Amino acid sequence: MSALADAPGRRAPDGRIPPAVWKLLRLRARITFSGVRRAKGRARIGTVIVGLLLLAFAVFLVVMSWLLLGLVRSPELAQYLTIDSAQVVAAIPVLLLTALFVAILLTSFGGLLSALYLTGDMDFLLATPVPIRAVFVAKLIGTVAPVFGLVSLFSLPVLVGLGLSGGYSPLYYPLLLLTMVALTLAAAGLSSLLVMLVVRVMPPRRAAEILAFLGATIAISLSQAGNVMNALRGDETSVSGSQVSGLLLGASTPWLPLNWAGRGLIELGEGRWLTGLPLVVLTIGLALAVFWLAAATAERWYYTGWAGMRVVARKSRPTRSPQVAAGMDAAPPRLARWLPQPLWGLVWRDVLTLRRDLRNLSQLVTPLILGVVYTLLLFRGDRSSPGGDLAAGDLAEPVRLLLAYSSVGMSLFVGWMLLARLAGSAFSREGKSYWLVKAAPIRTGQLLAAKFLVAYVPALALAMAFTVVIAIVRQMAVAEFVFSLAASALCLAGMAGILLAFGVLSANFTWDDPRRTGGGAMGCLGQVLAMLYVPVAFGCFIGPIALASLLHLPLVDGHLAGLVLGSAVALGSAFVPLRLVRDRVARLDETP
Amino acid sequence: MPDALIQTRNLVKRYGDKIAVNDVSFDVHGGEVFGFLGPNGAGKTTTIKMIVGLLQPTTGTVRVAGHDVGAEPLAAKAASGYVPDTPNLYAKLSARELLRFVADLYSLDRGHAARRIDELLRMFDLAAAADDTIDSYSHGMQQKTSLAAALMHDPRVIVLDEPTVGLDPKSARLIKDILRQMADRGSAVMLSTHILEIAERMCDRVGIINRGELIAVGTMDELRAIDSSAQASLEDIFLSLTGGADVAELAQVLQ
Repeated sequence: MSALADAPGRRAPDGRIPPAVWKLLRLRARITFSGVRRAKGRARIGTVIVGLLLLAFAVFLVVMSWLLLGLVRSPELAQYLTIDSAQVVAAIPVLLLTALFVAILLTSFGGLLSALYLTGDMDFLLATPVPIRAVFVAKLIGTVAPVFGLVSLFSLPVLVGLGLSGGYSPLYYPLLLLTMVALTLAAAGLSSLLVMLVVRVMPPRRAAEILAFLGATIAISLSQAGNVMNALRGDETSVSGSQVSGLLLGASTPWLPLNWAGRGLIELGEGRWLTGLPLVVLTIGLALAVFWLAAATAERWYYTGWAGMRVVARKSRPTRSPQVAAGMDAAPPRLARWLPQPLWGLVWRDVLTLRRDLRNLSQLVTPLILGVVYTLLLFRGDRSSPGGDLAAGDLAEPVRLLLAYSSVGMSLFVGWMLLARLAGSAFSREGKSYWLVKAAPIRTGQLLAAKFLVAYVPALALAMAFTVVIAIVRQMAVAEFVFSLAASALCLAGMAGILLAFGVLSANFTWDDPRRTGGGAMGCLGQVLAMLYVPVAFGCFIGPIALASLLHLPLVDGHLAGLVLGSAVALGSAFVPLRLVRDRVARLDETP
Repeated sequence: MPDALIQTRNLVKRYGDKIAVNDVSFDVHGGEVFGFLGPNGAGKTTTIKMIVGLLQPTTGTVRVAGHDVGAEPLAAKAASGYVPDTPNLYAKLSARELLRFVADLYSLDRGHAARRIDELLRMFDLAAAADDTIDSYSHGMQQKTSLAAALMHDPRVIVLDEPTVGLDPKSARLIKDILRQMADRGSAVMLSTHILEIAERMCDRVGIINRGELIAVGTMDELRAIDSSAQASLEDIFLSLTGGADVAELAQVLQ
């Protein structure tokens, strides 16, 4: 027994890696289960229901893949297909395993960055007598396990269905799982190396911010790329025959290591052991070797401090002389003169923090990209006057008016998306620094007004820009354009009031990442109500116009009636909800 | 004795069934440094938060500079400055921007605020990093920024929750000197601390809270009278009042 074990009740530290990894993973699992166990009854039931639904989904995928792939393999169908069905079947595992590897490589980067540098438990773990390699491996597994689960939810049932439809050998199934695990570990190992390289050149927190921004921008851009391409091409063909052939050709390339596993599994499943087994074993061995090498290198870089050079970001700005600084501080911006000083301070602070934190910008980028996409679609779309062919006789003019104005609804949609993010989380964004505002002598009204302005003005600007584009594309009359501007501005004001009020009710100040400021049930209710409010409020604006047209009354009267009715509804929605939550604002952040 | 700048009367704070603060009443006068001591979880921070208007008392009243915090919160808050135990500040603002923001919140004249900002940044040794964002600051620098923010409007009442935690000796000394000077100029200074030597040396009077109840208030001499020992240190008095005198025996067992 070592000297360490001399004290009563103390055992010598176990230097073996697997038991230590198991211990750390068990601790993580215990924390997760403890969270579920201590959750409220509703949340616990919800977790169970989600689990059952996921299981049902997986079973559904297995059955569907089994049936569909059985159909693809059938000789009856083969005579109608222009491509080789065996080639299609053989490409499926290759494509799915490649997708798994790439998905884990890309998505685990953020998780590993957070687990290794931002969670703050690394110092505690490394100070304990647990092998550093065990800590690293446990962190890697803990990070990629949820991503692996998610990707497997879609890929594993399809691959099981593939095996069932082809009557594959039973060995196919365990080897399939083993291959997926090995590829996941290899991708995670490479990702950890990437993390080490990135934090070498920039602070981890900044890297996480940039990653969040890029992730959101790329995701939304990719999701809209199809729409844009179709709009620019002018046809609706989604996937051409040559694209499928290209994909199949890529999947059959023999020198790509990622193809070996898929091909090997098919060969093995179909009973060609001599060609299949070496390919699968080679892939698994190579993947585990990559994982081991990458993890060992990353661990060494972490431990030697090579990957921890940039702890803080210091911007080297030119130092201002005290006179210049004082002059800059003393000069109030022109807009500030029109607002009470505390209100201006709150607005300016929000603008600065929103602009500087890329994680905030990543939330705001979605509506901006969608706005650009819709603008493009509008420019490419039909420029003729809407509603021309839809109705005849007495209904033609009311329908034309309704459709002309309803296209403005698109600008409200874009404005709503921006408002939902800015107004819904307006109070939550204060986070743990809210004490500074709460301890200051500020009126509740000023605080609400500042939050309202920060949310409303950017959404208004975006919606206005979009309305202008719609007016140009649709060749709106000036009166219709002015009416549209007023209607969308007022509708957005009402929406801002509703979302801000629910933002107060759902305020959460305890987050560490601004993307986690979501407001739970009350926040969701606010979003739903705001969504229901839009057609009601906008209907109040344009309904009287259509009615006036239908009854052959002067359209000016219809516009005036719409403006009065719509304004009443919109302004009521802007002010009444905020009035109702006014007292709640004074009691925010008072939980122990 | 000048008028009390902090006056708490029968303060009670309940969270459901749990009573965090129970019937606490004390005064802090202008010109004095008042130490607020107590074990972990005794109710110090809850009491302090009620004084600065961050928490509403369940019952009882707090008056700051003559203003009822519940009835006239703006006037009470305008007169007070607060330094929390953890310096949670807006990470994406620089110290200069944060102080300018605080100046706006307290409606300070912009020219005066600009001079005050430079003065405070120099005083707290933050001038070189004044334009860097706060997320690049060390804990001590954030603590000093938080102190600068509390002093920005030159408050008549300043309440500090563990002000010296995370500060280097030079900065800790600076804080102590500033607080003493503020008290000498007639301000009321209330601070909570676990470092009893600081309390003993700095504070004119001390209040000890335990399990939500104020169990002793007075000068060092008055507290010694409670302990019936003329030579007792504040640590001895604190431990005897809060039931911590048996810790030495416990420490013996652990060795």
